[in-house]
Amino acid sequence: MRLAVLADVHSNLEAFEAVLRDCAKEPTSAVINLGDLVGYNASPGECVDLARRHQMISLQGNHDRAAVRPRFAEGFNIFAHKAVLWSSSALNPEQKGFLDNLPDTLLLWDRYLLFHGAPESSEAYIFYLFQAKKAFSYMRQRMPEGQIAFFGHTHHRAVWQRDVRGRIQSLPIPRGPTALDPEEMYLINPGSVGQPRNHHWEASYLIFTTKPPAIEFRSVPYDLRLAQAKIREARLPDYLAERLAAGV
Amino acid sequence: MVHAYEKEGKLKDGSRIVLRPMVAEDRQRLIDFFQALPGEQRLFLRHDVSDPEVIKAWTEHIDYSRVFPLLALAGDRVVGDATLHRIPRGWKRHIGTVRVVVAAEYHNRGLGTLLVHEMVELATELGLEKLWAELPLSAAGAIAVFRKAGFSSKAVIEGLVKDQHGRNTDVVIMVCDVGTQYG
Repeated sequence: MRLAVLADVHSNLEAFEAVLRDCAKEPTSAVINLGDLVGYNASPGECVDLARRHQMISLQGNHDRAAVRPRFAEGFNIFAHKAVLWSSSALNPEQKGFLDNLPDTLLLWDRYLLFHGAPESSEAYIFYLFQAKKAFSYMRQRMPEGQIAFFGHTHHRAVWQRDVRGRIQSLPIPRGPTALDPEEMYLINPGSVGQPRNHHWEASYLIFTTKPPAIEFRSVPYDLRLAQAKIREARLPDYLAERLAAGV
Repeated sequence: MVHAYEKEGKLKDGSRIVLRPMVAEDRQRLIDFFQALPGEQRLFLRHDVSDPEVIKAWTEHIDYSRVFPLLALAGDRVVGDATLHRIPRGWKRHIGTVRVVVAAEYHNRGLGTLLVHEMVELATELGLEKLWAELPLSAAGAIAVFRKAGFSSKAVIEGLVKDQHGRNTDVVIMVCDVGTQYG
């Protein structure tokens, strides 16, 4: 089975469409959206509609939740706060209803754990060893049959591995299709579609093949200028347009 | 051009203030704010903020990519000013320097904490890795505020700066590893 795994679209329709075009070049069984369809950029409603139309397996991210329930935006920084309130005003009730009903976490086919930030919270991050260790511990307790989890939220690609001896390490991001060791456990972040922060502007996502397990990170060019123009037209903070080009 | 946007913040007593980036039209509000600061508080500021020309220069040359000034307002009055200074290139391009000034009547009400936390949140958004702050060693309250926001003391340099009376003052250097604030 071939799955497309993506996260943090953040209302960037141009990047989202480019990713879907790229993954459609080969037959794909399902598209997994790890949350944060909205926020930051200027096409929230269109991105929600696109995810629905493709019947993606979707999670709720912290920006999705804040767009539906603005009190959750109180802790956001001033850029994210402005953008998520704008997203909220741009979504219709049906689109909000869709976001509101998305799950925080999902155990897919009893084998693959999906979450946005960390298993315990869509606002927590997995950036450091202690955070990865905590997530692996959760997986071992809750999903004895499962060895692979996918997450987003940081906007950075990541592959964390826990080997059979319990040693945890962050692996270099592989180029091209790469086999996963079926004996070991993995936490995998596909990077961000709509606002990558790895100093590269192209949209990032991942192809996951289930048998034998393998991953392939992909970068996809998109109409950056159009996405930036929409941000400016919406009178969102100019920094949100500038950062797309810089990949931060 | 950065369009005006704002956010509400809550203080310890439940009262609300507005946070927003400084814009050119804030010149008189800033002059009023700095002129109302007690003399002892102004002693340790980097610039002579009692000079309206200094404020005029700030408000006429706003460049958010180098200095991001965030104001706290109660109604139409500025009650706090936090700035995040960046150097876009070179070996310190990942470091931001934070400066915070709070009106005397807002001390111990949670405004300093709110502003420093906002600077840390902003730093993560701007892709910075470390924040740097320099405080007079005698400013125990301010040091505690920065510590609560994730800063730790890295060095004390004796007699590093001179106050406006020409007296040398010890300075504590505090640094926040922004990445560790995630999660």
